Amino acid sequence: MEAVFSNFGEYLDAFGVTLALFAVSGLASMVLGLVLATMRVGPVSVLRGAAGLYVTVFRNTPLLVIFIFMAVAAPKLGYTFRFVEDVEIAGWNVSAYFTRACIALTLYTSAFVCEGIRSGVNSVQLGQAEAARAVGMTFLQSMRHVILPQAGRAVIPPLASVQIALAKNTSVAAVFGMAEATATMRAFNNNYADQRVQIFLLFALGYIVIVEIISFGSHMLERRAKVA
Amino acid sequence: MRRMKLGMAAVAVLLAGSLTACGEAGDDDNEGVDVDVKEDAAEDFDEGTRMRELAEEGKVTIGVKFDQPGLGFKGATDDAPSGFDVEMGKILAADLGIDPENIEWKETISDNREPFLEAGEVDLVLATYSITPERRAVVGQAGPYYVTGQQLLVRADSDIDSLDDIRGTEVCSVTGSTSLENIKAEGATPRGFDTYSECVSQVLDGAVDAMTTDGAILLGYAAEQPDDLKVVVEPFSEERYGVGYSLDHPEMCEWINETIEESFENGQWEEAFNLTLGEAGVETPEQPELDPCPAS
Amino acid sequence: MRLAGVQKHYGNLHVLKDIDLDVARGEVVVVIGPSGAGKSTLCRAINRLETIDEGEILLDGQPLPQEGKGLARLRADVGMVFQSFNLFAHKTVLENVTLGPIKVRKKSKAEAEARAKELLERVGVAHQAAKYPAQLSGGQQQRVAIARALAMDPKVMLFDEPTSALDPEMIKEVLDVMVDLAERGMTMIVVTHEMGFARTAANRVVFMADGAIVETTNPEKFFTNPESDRAKDFLGKILKH
Ligand SMILES: Nc1ncnc2c1ncn2[C@@H]1O[C@H](COP(=O)(O)OP(=O)(O)O)[C@@H](O)[C@H]1O
Ligand SMILES: [Mg+2]
Repeated sequence: MEAVFSNFGEYLDAFGVTLALFAVSGLASMVLGLVLATMRVGPVSVLRGAAGLYVTVFRNTPLLVIFIFMAVAAPKLGYTFRFVEDVEIAGWNVSAYFTRACIALTLYTSAFVCEGIRSGVNSVQLGQAEAARAVGMTFLQSMRHVILPQAGRAVIPPLASVQIALAKNTSVAAVFGMAEATATMRAFNNNYADQRVQIFLLFALGYIVIVEIISFGSHMLERRAKVA
Repeated sequence: MRRMKLGMAAVAVLLAGSLTACGEAGDDDNEGVDVDVKEDAAEDFDEGTRMRELAEEGKVTIGVKFDQPGLGFKGATDDAPSGFDVEMGKILAADLGIDPENIEWKETISDNREPFLEAGEVDLVLATYSITPERRAVVGQAGPYYVTGQQLLVRADSDIDSLDDIRGTEVCSVTGSTSLENIKAEGATPRGFDTYSECVSQVLDGAVDAMTTDGAILLGYAAEQPDDLKVVVEPFSEERYGVGYSLDHPEMCEWINETIEESFENGQWEEAFNLTLGEAGVETPEQPELDPCPAS
Repeated sequence: MRLAGVQKHYGNLHVLKDIDLDVARGEVVVVIGPSGAGKSTLCRAINRLETIDEGEILLDGQPLPQEGKGLARLRADVGMVFQSFNLFAHKTVLENVTLGPIKVRKKSKAEAEARAKELLERVGVAHQAAKYPAQLSGGQQQRVAIARALAMDPKVMLFDEPTSALDPEMIKEVLDVMVDLAERGMTMIVVTHEMGFARTAANRVVFMADGAIVETTNPEKFFTNPESDRAKDFLGKILKH
């Protein structure tokens, strides 16, 4: 216990990095996943095929392999993403490592987001899309105004599990340059070999809190969607 | 990672090939130090000592690292590991009258060195095994046979040449390691990886500014790619590599220390260094002063 | 509006066989025929919810655009009423009627709502404007669906069995709205088995079977003395009920 409490600032910083990875990749994967899902159910066969291929590739590739690609292979090919280091957001300097980790997490997670949204879209009756088209809406208009709002409730539970998985998956970044919670846990373990169990429990607790917050949020959203 | 190891093995093979082609290094490079295997070594040890047992059995099991070039490294296609730790192991075995062929090399990683010694899985550990009071509470550590310290590995064209230069830069090492903590204290952003080889590739690709860990380990990597990598700055910590043995056999300490002293005197220690870590073009370090063995 | 030589297949199934059909402005055509004859497919082809393999479909002398914005505009000009209503489940009755005009016709919200209220009044569900579709009876839902189609100011209205999902007591309220529409001069293609409607409102009856138009006559003659055996046989079956 003492190992963590006497270094509590470090503990919080570590979970701060975990949360930052989660927030950025979570948001980006929702956006990319929505675009992919729209392509996948849309009328343009080239886009349908491209989105299908994307899902096949990134859903079936282990996250670790994607990380290795982004963190080890991409720099070898000359893509270090160090140019992002010139970017400053609200006094924070964006690091190339953070960027690459977020890209890896987003590439992976958006494949699952896409499938979650697609299953929600499929749960909406076909007649709704036909009625939308019959009043002259384009495909995108019908997605935006008719299909997605109705898919909303059906997509909340699957998307919540995807985001929960993402929150835990950020730990892979521990061995790709990010000093997030899991990496910091390892450092604590190295320094305080006699307190390994307590260190483990306190870090596990941090993850449990994050996941509980996500599932609480998703329940609230679901309740609201049910009322509407 | 596997690919990295293969890559290193390929480099090692090329290196060996080129050396042989030049006709240098006389005997086969893979053989390392020309050890004098003692005849009838068992006679030299008292009845009941572990050394006598090993000498009579004619074989010994030694734990080394398999992933640290220059110290203990075994490529996927290699029959036996190579490196400074390995050479020191051969010198010790030779004193027991054991031929290098009869040494069983076991891979030990940082986490299992004490358990292996305590369980008798290995007789000796020479695996970048820093001497610390905590470790000496559970196992024996004779030596040190080599003193190193945390240093920096940078690209050959890097401007970094003092600790001050790394403030505000990104430096990689193994996730959770003490080296990473130390470099953070020096004002660098720590970047943790699973293995040293991944970290080296980050340096080579320009994804980080430097890598940090014990200088000996860094020298091994620099030796593999002397045109691309170099080791800089004075060691800013002290790591004293010792030979691990089981506390069940405290008599081994004196023997290990004597054998190390002997290798200092007859030039084998220096030869072992030059053939391995010395490849990086680093001068042979001073011979360290050995700790006295605990009174038994 | 005109269909000429229209052919459509679903795999091996030939669902529309060489369909020729002219519908003049203000004309009301009732399409009748056994289940599986291809009536729905015909409606959907006219609205391009389905593509056709051959032939052409002209609206106001213009061929149907193949895809994209032009097609969306065409669909806006052709109103469609489905058997299963297909009201937007997450929108109120009023929003169902205003969504198309606002998003497709780019009308202002106020303008769209004024017009929507007028139409809802006309089909007799004005007082339900704030409710969601699920809170309405089938007959009310279908009348809202008609208002939704009318809100786009279509040139043609297609009805695909608009009353067959309704309880008998609700059929009349929907048919009354349709008769009223016919009297106001709307061009209509109506798939229905409601003889009453055909007799009062239709100018012509088209009898379809097995993907082809078998006969085209006036309603009176069709119901009393059809020419084809297929039609006689079919009428025999439905009149028994
Ligand atoms: N999407 C489809 N795929 C394959 N066959 C279809 C499809 N839609 C309709 N059909 C077939 O086409 C034929 C005509 O169907 P339809 O136009 O719905 O007939 P109707 O409305 O006159 O009952 C039927 O045999 C039906 O099974
Ligand atoms: Mg039908």
